[in-house]
Amino acid sequence: MRRQRITWVVIALLAIAALIYWVQASRDGNSGPAPAGVVRGGRLIATHRSEPQSFNRYASANPAEELFARLTQATLVRLNRATGQLEPRLAKEWTASPDGLTWTLKLREGLHFSDGMPFSSADVLFTFQVLYDSRVKSPVAASTMVANQPLTARALDPLTVVIVFPAPYGPGLGVLDSVPILPEHKLRAALQAGTFRQAWGVTTPLADFAGLGPFMLREYVPGQRLVYQRNPQFWRSDDQGRPLPYLDEIEVQIVPEQNTEMLRLEAGAIDVTTDHVRAEDLAGLQTLQAKGVVTLNEAGVTINPEMFWLNLSPSSTLAKTRPWSQRTELRLAISHAIDRRKIVDTVFLGAAEPVFGPVTPGYGEWFLQDAPRTDYDQARARSLLESAGLADRTGDGKLDDARGETARFTILTQKGHTVRERLCAIIQEQLQAVGLTVDVVALERTALIPAILGGTYEAALFQILFDSFDPGGHLDLWVSSGDFHLWHPRQPKPMTDWEARIDELMLKQSTTLDRAERVRLFAEVQRVFGVNLPLIAFAAPKIVVATSARVGGAMPSVLVPPVLWNAEMLWLVPLPAGASGK
Amino acid sequence: MNASFAAYVVRRLVAALLFVALVSSAAFVLVRIAPGDATTDLHLSRGGALAVADARARLGLDRPLLAHLGSWVTGLLTFDLGQSTVFGRPVADLVKERAGASAALASLSLLLAAAIGLPLGVLTASRPWVAAAVAPISIALVACPPIIAVLALLLLAVGTGWLSIAPGSYAVPTLALALPLAAMLERLHSRAMAETLSSPDLLAAAARGVPRARLLWVHAARQSLRPVLGIAGAVVGTLFSGSLAVEMVTSWPGLGRLLFDAVAGRDLFLAAGCALIGAMFVALANLLADVARALIDPRIREAA
Repeated sequence: MRRQRITWVVIALLAIAALIYWVQASRDGNSGPAPAGVVRGGRLIATHRSEPQSFNRYASANPAEELFARLTQATLVRLNRATGQLEPRLAKEWTASPDGLTWTLKLREGLHFSDGMPFSSADVLFTFQVLYDSRVKSPVAASTMVANQPLTARALDPLTVVIVFPAPYGPGLGVLDSVPILPEHKLRAALQAGTFRQAWGVTTPLADFAGLGPFMLREYVPGQRLVYQRNPQFWRSDDQGRPLPYLDEIEVQIVPEQNTEMLRLEAGAIDVTTDHVRAEDLAGLQTLQAKGVVTLNEAGVTINPEMFWLNLSPSSTLAKTRPWSQRTELRLAISHAIDRRKIVDTVFLGAAEPVFGPVTPGYGEWFLQDAPRTDYDQARARSLLESAGLADRTGDGKLDDARGETARFTILTQKGHTVRERLCAIIQEQLQAVGLTVDVVALERTALIPAILGGTYEAALFQILFDSFDPGGHLDLWVSSGDFHLWHPRQPKPMTDWEARIDELMLKQSTTLDRAERVRLFAEVQRVFGVNLPLIAFAAPKIVVATSARVGGAMPSVLVPPVLWNAEMLWLVPLPAGASGK
Repeated sequence: MNASFAAYVVRRLVAALLFVALVSSAAFVLVRIAPGDATTDLHLSRGGALAVADARARLGLDRPLLAHLGSWVTGLLTFDLGQSTVFGRPVADLVKERAGASAALASLSLLLAAAIGLPLGVLTASRPWVAAAVAPISIALVACPPIIAVLALLLLAVGTGWLSIAPGSYAVPTLALALPLAAMLERLHSRAMAETLSSPDLLAAAARGVPRARLLWVHAARQSLRPVLGIAGAVVGTLFSGSLAVEMVTSWPGLGRLLFDAVAGRDLFLAAGCALIGAMFVALANLLADVARALIDPRIREAA
């Protein structure tokens, strides 16, 4: 009896120990879930539409450099781009002071850069020095400032770093997701010489790179491809103890044209594409999925819908010449006049959800289900236009303002972007049905952006890309002083009461550490926003990611890169003969 | 070679140099005054006002246009084409690399086009049934925009697996450039052959009993090459302009794609560098064609 009891106690202790180990392993992110049937090895072939200007993420922050950094370097913490949750990376655990200003991070022991040199807190301090160096003027610095002040970092010992925020910051350590840790031993001399911006250029010998990421660059053929090979020093393993990454190599081919990219995927010549699937490609890919050539993964709904807005700056030509354009009733009328179902069906071929503002269901818990809606209602739109002072005074079927001039404005959008051009055509047609005259001008992207950011436009349809789910990181859109407060940026003080209210709510939201309170505050922001509608969205496309059928372990994300953000967990499934066109 | 002919060559050379200088400077000025600049993406990616201002100063975008152009021209005199903002590399290196890839593609396409187009021109001029079969195809190919031709070939390649679509494969881009060019050569050569065949010297040769095959493939074919040679410069120009769509769709790392990236990214030095090298190719081809025509046609030499 006694022996049996001892046996049960031992079993229970072992079970508890196993549970603790499992919880710890999951918490510190040192291991990832091991999918069944994983095959190690092989070369995955991906495409990217542009090539890097530099391999120095702190000198150049374009998508190609971002991809290079994600493959070859590592951050202290990482935002899981599929779940939106913060994950341990080089830091295995952390604690925050009660005021949320001081964060103490414990680094993993025994880590080495890809060149074999050990990693320590000195590399973290060096990275922070680079980030805010006045000679480097890094484009990453602006997005890692809190209350316009830099974060500060100090080391308690080789494995402990303290990061101090200048003010409480709701997204917390999430801000470090864009800060890859650099090898001090490779780059200290360049920083001291004031030549850091030129370091790690595209002609730098490959032996001069070192990183803590899952891969390292093995070959770069300009204009053609980058080949990455497994970093043997990478510290992460799956929960069965197998070292990550699973793949031997990733070849990233430079394919600037999206149609060609899709053709190559269909032919089985590549495994992963740069971006999400376009609506017009979906039907063809579904047929190929049925044949076992490709796999389609739904990642959810976009967090970056196309948005329409009127220029609400009082100094704009639109405001000066057509004061009616600044009325809230006009914006609500426009939103009511648009049949979003038609947009979903014709522009996105059914693969989208109607939305009304910039916050889509893709934001998960941040999205307010019962936010104000402006459903399709032409009668309501006409009535709102009338209350904005617009009526058909000349009997030509077009609305006129009080001076008898036709109510008319011009939408700027991007030339060659089929979704934007089609959306504009529908907006033009449906606003015409309620009497508003709209002209559409499509400009090449590089010409369009200065027009929008410089405020020399009447109305615009464009998409601003956010790289995180937490709205606390998007202050430049929400607050009236922000550069990306699109309809009226950089206001010295809020021009309207509702903007003042949103400023107040967002500043509180971004400095509160209690997540539930932050969600509540952002819900209030959406309520205020929804009845004023400075930005109007119409549809949020469902994000579908296509890979070749041999790709296993993909965790598709609505953010880009949709698959390669988690490259260490990807593996290649051996396919039956004839399943791929390769 | 007499003195007047040498003077003719020198005059053509000076004109070619002026043409190259004008085209490349125009590219620099046009890209500089176009809306947007190389910092547009930095601004959009929330790089911050400080980083944008620093980048503008570093790239010389805060300087007056003429001063900027002047520094580029000064650099040009020392063979310094500047640094690309899009690729972060010296423009001279990029242009050399990509011009090599474009020249390889263009040469292969030109050879293939000549190998197909010129003999077909002889056949269509001399055999009505061949003309009936070939001419409609040639006209369709001449009328076909390069983007359509390359997409059709790519679809064929994907659908059948007959042509490789691997990066760096010559099959699709070469055919996409060569087929319309072959059609153009066939049409030109055919018309020139038809005229040549009715000329008195050919009729006399036929009367003297020169075999028909020799008459066609040696005497008439050689004489009818003159008008074809006259458009050699234009052909090289066509190859370069047509290569943009082909290079984009097939991911060929050539000069057309480089120029597109340069203009889209408002990369002044690179756009000017690409225009410079493209203009040099066209000018050189025209110069060589003019000299060749002058060498084989005494009337041109005498007029010179």
